[in-house]
Amino acid sequence: MESGLSDLLSVSIDFGTSHLFFPTLITWIMAVLFVLVVVTQVVPFLAAVRRGERALPILGESMDSLRFFGTLALIVAYFHLMTVVGDMFPYTGYGFLFVSIPFVFLMSLLYLHEWTRKALVIVTLTAFAAPSLAWLILAKLFQITLP
Amino acid sequence: MEILSLLDVTFFLLTALGALVGIVFGAIPGMTATMAVAVCLPLTYALGLNHGLALLLGLYVGGISGGMVPAVLLNIPGTPSSITTTFDGYPMARRGEGERALKISVVASLVGGLISAAVLFLFAPLLADFSIKFSYIEKFLIILLALTVIASLSHNMLVGIFSGVIGIWLSLIGDYSISDGGNGKTRLIFDFMEPYLFEGFSLLPVLIGIFGISTILLEAEKGVKSDLSDERVKIGKGAGATFSLALFKGRLTNLVRSSFIGTFVGMLPGVGGSAASVLAYTQEKNLARDSSQMGKGAPQGLIASESANNALTGGALIPLLSLGIPGDSTTAVLIGAFTLQGIQVGPLFIPENAETWYVMMAALIFANVVMFFLMFYAIKTIAKVVMVPKHILFPIIVMMCVVGAYAINYGIMFDVWTLLIFGVLGYLIQKVGLEVAPLIIGFILGSQAEVYFVKSLESAGTLTIFFTKSPIAVVLWLLILASVAFSITMSLKNRAKHRHELLG
Amino acid sequence: MPVFKKTIVGLGSAVLMTSLSYGIGAAQAQEGQLRGNVRVVIGSTSTGGDTYQNSSIVVDQLAEKLDINMKVDAVGASSAFRTLDRDARGNTLMIFHDQSYLGHLYGVEGYADIFEKYTIGPTVAINPGNAYLVPKDSPYETLDDIIAAVGEGETVRVAIQPGGVSEIGFSALKNAIAIEHPGQEDNLVAVNTGSQSDKNQLLFDDQVDLINGSVQANEQYTRLPEDDQKAMRFVWLTARQETIQQAPEEGLGQTTREQLLEFVEPNVHVTMGDDETFTFDKEFFFLYNKEMDPGIVEQIDEALAEIFEEGEIQEIQKSAFFIPNFRPSGEASEYLEEKRSRYEEIIENIQ
Repeated sequence: MESGLSDLLSVSIDFGTSHLFFPTLITWIMAVLFVLVVVTQVVPFLAAVRRGERALPILGESMDSLRFFGTLALIVAYFHLMTVVGDMFPYTGYGFLFVSIPFVFLMSLLYLHEWTRKALVIVTLTAFAAPSLAWLILAKLFQITLP
Repeated sequence: MEILSLLDVTFFLLTALGALVGIVFGAIPGMTATMAVAVCLPLTYALGLNHGLALLLGLYVGGISGGMVPAVLLNIPGTPSSITTTFDGYPMARRGEGERALKISVVASLVGGLISAAVLFLFAPLLADFSIKFSYIEKFLIILLALTVIASLSHNMLVGIFSGVIGIWLSLIGDYSISDGGNGKTRLIFDFMEPYLFEGFSLLPVLIGIFGISTILLEAEKGVKSDLSDERVKIGKGAGATFSLALFKGRLTNLVRSSFIGTFVGMLPGVGGSAASVLAYTQEKNLARDSSQMGKGAPQGLIASESANNALTGGALIPLLSLGIPGDSTTAVLIGAFTLQGIQVGPLFIPENAETWYVMMAALIFANVVMFFLMFYAIKTIAKVVMVPKHILFPIIVMMCVVGAYAINYGIMFDVWTLLIFGVLGYLIQKVGLEVAPLIIGFILGSQAEVYFVKSLESAGTLTIFFTKSPIAVVLWLLILASVAFSITMSLKNRAKHRHELLG
Repeated sequence: MPVFKKTIVGLGSAVLMTSLSYGIGAAQAQEGQLRGNVRVVIGSTSTGGDTYQNSSIVVDQLAEKLDINMKVDAVGASSAFRTLDRDARGNTLMIFHDQSYLGHLYGVEGYADIFEKYTIGPTVAINPGNAYLVPKDSPYETLDDIIAAVGEGETVRVAIQPGGVSEIGFSALKNAIAIEHPGQEDNLVAVNTGSQSDKNQLLFDDQVDLINGSVQANEQYTRLPEDDQKAMRFVWLTARQETIQQAPEEGLGQTTREQLLEFVEPNVHVTMGDDETFTFDKEFFFLYNKEMDPGIVEQIDEALAEIFEEGEIQEIQKSAFFIPNFRPSGEASEYLEEKRSRYEEIIENIQ
């Protein structure tokens, strides 16, 4: 009995495959919990959806598609162009500076509801000032590597 | 009184400057205390040892404290160790109590910083001897104890634990790092991902992605409306926004306990700084007479979190100065300052460099005081950040997140893409009803849990070692059991109350 | 709406013009020379470690000599190699040490054959500190005691970080035991662990009998009284005798050069067979993208030669406990390849 228990608790880990030990354990725990969550939460929820009591997340909700997908598109373009432009001027931070200005400007416009002259002036000013300030202080003063 | 002659005006000016710059770094989402210290490290060569240390310690204290600002006002932890500050700080800010939340945090930070400085000064060598009693096994148990907060933090325990396990799983992606003693092989990724994910996702981009970018996506989905709605103008007005020291009445135990937890966790090399505030938060949640409001905007949560993360500073200096081993990532950079000056840190540092030791203590205490005054009186202005219209604020947040993510590992573009990946993931997680806080805690603690767990088993070959290793292990198990038992009773109680309300 | 359009156009042309003027500026610079901002990535993520410290000494001097902006970034081995792979223009350079080829020899993921994939640049310095230590109250007085004990069937456990610089001494020791006491080498057991604090911790816990460490990180521990749980003792420095002889006379901390010399060859003898003694100097050198202009290789070689001629850098290096060690690119490449083949033999022997 005694030895049975200690056998059960003994674990031998081979160094060569030790990188898989913990991930395997966690993956199994995650799988078991997933099944439990599906059974106790998701199934009742879907039943409620079918009865029309609740709406599906994302699909069943109303959303501001222009602003949501516009944000995603802008961010993707921002990250991508930063590398491209940054590559033209290696390690100067110009990639960050030149791409951040239009990004901040466009994203502000995307979120701005009432396009008054005053609001646009403020948007334009911050779009130039904020990235320039960040670039000056971080890339120039503190010499942090920027794209 | 030779010491006094070393403390000239420049010394105090540099400490104050350090604290100020540190606060700014800490307050920018994505910029951390570690980065502030690393950036200014080359300056110390010109300044000389004492003045250099004054600047760096100022940066360290300021950087850790500054993290509270975006945590409270924007729900983005400025540094990983201010993650638990968001739990109560942001709900308070949304109620229009941002200023009050910040003031509570600043006071808690000051107390935490000073208590840990005192502990460092009085007991450093003694505690260093105690800290080496913690082997892989005890460290694993500490991480496990911190992980138990997941259970008490989640709204639905099953979903919360599931989210936490997902977080741990995500943290294991990439290689089992050689520098942690692993075998350097990758797992949980496909070959084509290896150029990007060899080292896995790094913590900071994940954190600001999941908090910062996903918040913006959620807002964008709703159309980024109501720029200056009522809740946001209430700052500084409203009766609830006043601050007085009376808020700390009855919170003294919490304050002192959390400070000691912070110091203690800081002291253990390898147990990351973020564990300190998580652990302090867990303990407050478990031990407080009434913790039902925690996570919904309770000052006690802020006190626990902020006193613990500032106490980290003194704690992390203990192994650095009495074993030559850094207690966290910032002190690891501080070692550079010593080696640049040709000074060795190790068990004989304090006896052999008494002068430097006193100078450091002076800088540490002064930095805490400066941090307090700078922040306490600037808060009114700082808190106005939330009044900046969202269409101006959001693009700038994204921009600063990019800078932080890119700079954290000294210039890696994939860290910027990580922002987007986890921004979208964070959005989806919240949409399908998974819980963000447990997930991120799992992510923060996951990789350490792995190393300590696997290494313990590798050497002992049996699971019994976790119970039989030492008296410390037994005490830790008792704490873990108490914490789990507490979360279960709490959840049962809540359920009963809920049912009662439904019936009544 | 018109306001918006105008701004966009204005903005676009401003960016375009700035970029154009810069593009021209860059093109006008001389071919085959470093230009613009140069980033030196290193194979370590620590800014408190020896790689960073050594690199910043060298890079500071180089930047001043060449009058360009240079900056050291501690991105870590795998990111450093990747960054270097992508840039053949000479804006990215790398500095690393013997780990770069030892990682490949030990088959660690992420390490390619550097002699094939990159151009080897000049060597600049040696860190002479690689050491092995035992607890102060250890029954083993010298490394010979350990070799003899293992030869008689005793198990000796050694804490190392696998896959590189920390393991090479262990491998050599194992090889020496295999030569002197064939069949007994498996009694020398590696305990794989991570940072220096983990290695120390294992020694404090009596989980190992010998640890890999360094003069810099462990010197103070060797001066603790014997009854202190943390006290340690050097038994072996892997550096060559000539290397330690170049160290400053006062040594490091309160351990003099004289004392350090007790722990190197010929006082400590780790055989490689045929009367050859194993030594290991941890050397720092540049790595370049294979496609980079040879003009730049030459330019850096010349600049460094001048810097080492002037002699100031040696003083800085020595005060930081580095041994100056300049070899121009071609020579360095030959030397390191030869060094690698010797270690390759050892690693193959014990497999």
